[in-house]
Amino acid sequence: MHGRVKLKSTAQQEEEKRKEREKKLKIYVTARDAVFAKRKNGMLDDEALLLTQQLLSSNPDVATLWNYRREILLHLETIREEVDVQKMYEDELSFLESCLKVNPKSYGSWHHRGWVSARLPRPDWTRELGLCDRCLSLDDRNFHCWDYRRMVVKMSGVPVDQELQFTDRLIGSNFSNYSSWHYRSTLLPLLHPESPEPPSPCHQTHHSPPTSPQSHSHRVCEEQLLKEYELVQNAFFTDPNDQSAWFYYRWLLGRAEREEMISCVFVSREEERVAVAFSRPVNVSSSGLMLVLDGQPQRVEWRSVHPSFKHSPVCICELPPGTISDITNEHNLTVHWTEKHTHRDCALYTGRSVSWCRDSATDQELFRSELSVEKTSVLQSELQSCNQLLELEPQNKWCLLTIILLMRALDPLGYERETLSHFQTLKEVDPMRGAYYGDLCSKFMIENTILKMEYAEVRVFSLSDKNLTTLCHLDQLLLVTHINLSSNQLLRLPPQFAMLQCLEVLEADNNAIENLEGLYHLPKLEDVSLKNNKLSRLSDLQPLASCPKLTRLDLRRNPVTQLVNIESELAELLPSVTDLLL
Amino acid sequence: VLHVDRRSYYAGNWASFTFNGLLSWIEEYKQAGPSDEAAQEKVEEGEEALALSSLDTSITNVEVFCYARYRGNTDPGEGHLSHPKMSACETEANAHLCCCDYSQLMYSRGSLVDLLIKSNVSRYAEFKNVTRILTYRNGKVEQVPCSRADVFGSKQLTVVEKRMLMKFLTFCLDFEQHPEEYQDFSVHSFWDFLLTKKLTENLRHFILHSIAMVTPDVCTVEGLRATQHFLRCLGRYGNTPFLFPLYGLGEIPQCFCRMCAVFGGIYCLRQSVRCLVLDKESGKCKAVIDSNGQRISCSHFVVEDGYIGLDQRKNVDSRQISRAVLITDRSILPSDSEQQISLVTVPPVEPGSPVVRMVELCSSTMTCMPGTYLVHLTCSSSGSAREDLAPVVSRLFCIPVSPGEESKEEEGSEVPSVLWALYFNMRDTSAVDRSSYDLPSNVHVCTSPDAALGSDHAIKLAEAVFRQLLPEEEFCPPAPNPEDIIYDGEGPQGEGPGFEEADPAEALPSQGEVESAERQEEAEDAGETGDVAKQETVAVAENEPRPASEE
Repeated sequence: MHGRVKLKSTAQQEEEKRKEREKKLKIYVTARDAVFAKRKNGMLDDEALLLTQQLLSSNPDVATLWNYRREILLHLETIREEVDVQKMYEDELSFLESCLKVNPKSYGSWHHRGWVSARLPRPDWTRELGLCDRCLSLDDRNFHCWDYRRMVVKMSGVPVDQELQFTDRLIGSNFSNYSSWHYRSTLLPLLHPESPEPPSPCHQTHHSPPTSPQSHSHRVCEEQLLKEYELVQNAFFTDPNDQSAWFYYRWLLGRAEREEMISCVFVSREEERVAVAFSRPVNVSSSGLMLVLDGQPQRVEWRSVHPSFKHSPVCICELPPGTISDITNEHNLTVHWTEKHTHRDCALYTGRSVSWCRDSATDQELFRSELSVEKTSVLQSELQSCNQLLELEPQNKWCLLTIILLMRALDPLGYERETLSHFQTLKEVDPMRGAYYGDLCSKFMIENTILKMEYAEVRVFSLSDKNLTTLCHLDQLLLVTHINLSSNQLLRLPPQFAMLQCLEVLEADNNAIENLEGLYHLPKLEDVSLKNNKLSRLSDLQPLASCPKLTRLDLRRNPVTQLVNIESELAELLPSVTDLLL
Repeated sequence: VLHVDRRSYYAGNWASFTFNGLLSWIEEYKQAGPSDEAAQEKVEEGEEALALSSLDTSITNVEVFCYARYRGNTDPGEGHLSHPKMSACETEANAHLCCCDYSQLMYSRGSLVDLLIKSNVSRYAEFKNVTRILTYRNGKVEQVPCSRADVFGSKQLTVVEKRMLMKFLTFCLDFEQHPEEYQDFSVHSFWDFLLTKKLTENLRHFILHSIAMVTPDVCTVEGLRATQHFLRCLGRYGNTPFLFPLYGLGEIPQCFCRMCAVFGGIYCLRQSVRCLVLDKESGKCKAVIDSNGQRISCSHFVVEDGYIGLDQRKNVDSRQISRAVLITDRSILPSDSEQQISLVTVPPVEPGSPVVRMVELCSSTMTCMPGTYLVHLTCSSSGSAREDLAPVVSRLFCIPVSPGEESKEEEGSEVPSVLWALYFNMRDTSAVDRSSYDLPSNVHVCTSPDAALGSDHAIKLAEAVFRQLLPEEEFCPPAPNPEDIIYDGEGPQGEGPGFEEADPAEALPSQGEVESAERQEEAEDAGETGDVAKQETVAVAENEPRPASEE
């Protein structure tokens, strides 16, 4: 009967499909072998171009075929008129478009497109931009396309303001997009650079050389910043769990580079030793350190505080024996950091056994949080916004963390209690990152304690019972003589601990310390208390042997005390210890 | 299947018209149709005739206003519209006006879209996403932020409002999971529930009128469910939950007709059924007699409500819908793009007046000329269409002083002027039960367009009727692919010429080539409509990832 519908059975259909597939495979393999044979014979002709095109259009991810194609195109370029070359590459572009439809994230296709676009005698960049926009509208996270687009923009010189509008558009349609926000962060400093006179009080560094131009190049003028704050707040109020906006916010709030300087010079008559602290770790052997004593350059050997570091924020050197040992002499030292064209002086007066020179905490921003470059008023209003959001979303980790950072930038000591309680909430709502929050909180507690110590102008550092999980900023403790870290959760005294060059008394009871690596060549260390820790092997105590003045050691309630012959072994290992508690 | 229709177009009261088609439709309803006697001579012994109504009473109160000046001053009726935009409407054949269908829009999830996808009928139509949801509030038309991107970009909301709105909408998306949030409100209204949610006044307005699109007195769960449905439709094909079929929703019934015809259904337009022939003994309909006096045997008869005479209705009381169709000269809320398709929810402008739903279509929907907008207004009737809708029209649009006079062209005036307006009432029989008709059991009645957005009722009814006719068969099964159809008398398809032996360079059936051929077609299709339809159309299909290349 006419028009009556009869359908093929499923088995029939599958059999047909199978046959079809087999046929395709056979053809594909034949063509592939033909292509490889031609390449082997060095044939760079149109037929090879056609064959590779057919293979690549069904599978655009064979890099070898693209390479062969480029060989052919380069060859044809040499024997053809420019008009034909233009035509040849234009055809290549339209072929590539069909490949991108097969796989819009093909490495091979995008790379080849970049190559072709760069070789095209008369490129049509508008068209290429249009293609990118189309691809990004289909998938705004296609990083291949983002990469290619960057190249197109660079080659065609698209004005920065147009590009900023482009990011406006992308963010408007979907703000969960790192690429768009990040691109924005590269455009804003070009379009709205910060005014050359840095108005922020944090920048007053009158006694140091002017900051390098690079440190300002990625800052944005305040007027634009305020607009950006508004934009990004709209994003994180709309969806506070979207982290891309939060990261952009952190970028906006400031990213100061610490000024490179010598932060402290310490000299000890007794050890005839100079210790120098820097604002960042330096390579001891290649940073061009020079010591001038009473106008005379000295040949000294600079080394880091611990052999495991090549880079260290504290370097030490021994002076030639006898140069400063006479207590009735006054000496003037200058340490030059030639690489950074900076230096620091230190005077060792008559009758003094030690001396140092450093900026006090009020003079320098000790812990320039990455947010603190912003004006206080701006930070204050941002803190208000975040607190408002926190009221609506008390469990939001991004908001909590940002609030902590803002509080630290504003007034680390004043907000200490709130900061701690926010950390507590963070650990509860995001237990997966509990250790990260613990470490971060430790860092902030150490910073606060250092600040308090600076204000009190003492050389005693005490931070017991604060859940410390890690130690940091130890370079700031170069001058500390007494340290109390008892009742925390420390697992070790890390090699950085060796920067405490003035340490005399260490208390670290009631932790979980199993490693003393950092108690290495501490010249003044006399008294160490490590009650109730996890020290279990004699070899763990080995570093103590390098501390020449150690006389008192308390190891009670450590597994190591259970070892047989421990007393005699220790006496052998640490002959200077006269007061040993086991 | 034999499909007989006394009209010259498909889909009855669901149809869309060209402007000229609409003018003749109006004429048709102004004139009373001839009432003729049933053709008794074809009725045999043991049978009786049951006449169908020859007069469709489903459309009433038709009023037309033309505000564009007529060129021929002497006789306005025969002159031509002089307003350039209006005369274009009159002459351009492709200016379609979707007119009678109530809902106008489709939810991007729901029974209609599911059915279109499942049955492959979607291949016969093209769709566009509604681009924005608007509302009328405090005397202003405002955009309703409903998607995440809208909320982010909204200038009317404070950041705190943004958070509150997003929080509420996120909750609605899976409200069943949080019964503690709403169970205390099970006997209270949705509005009361919103009041407890710390939402500001404008957020409550947006949620109630434009997102849930319910009245304040519906119960909490119903409001939540409506909100949830809206949200689930978001993002499937775009940033709003609605689709509009190019040329109007009248395309959709036509598409189903086309599918039916492809598989053997026979269609006769301009031919009506005068009466049914009933078997006296069984009381069933065994044949019909058409307007040519031809007797056609049948085992089932499916008929639209409008054909049923008064005698067969036990309960004539049915609801009415008020409709207005306007042609305007600019968008109600101008934006960067002229090509916006907007759904506008208008809460009661005065206490007691109805909630009006308005759809504004731009020219790329293929329903009106470039530079003009087609506006549909709809509400449940309390009076005549004009009584119900004119107050809204006069608030939102500029109406020229008297018909035939053009509005004063005020430069910079933001309010669109009405160029042409049509009001009519339409019977809504969706709530009429089958038992309200006194008809044989094998006569099945379809209702006119109903009052709800989306076409759920019509789909449900169609399926129910189908189940009665063919209980064993699947309702709208997927149409087979053309290559899987075997035509009688045709042998197996011949192999391609010398495929295997050919030079591989010649013979490789590259996927790229095949695809580019397809894309060529697509491009050509787009080319036809390209100048008008600048926006992209949406292909209604499951959003499945493309299978990887089989090689």
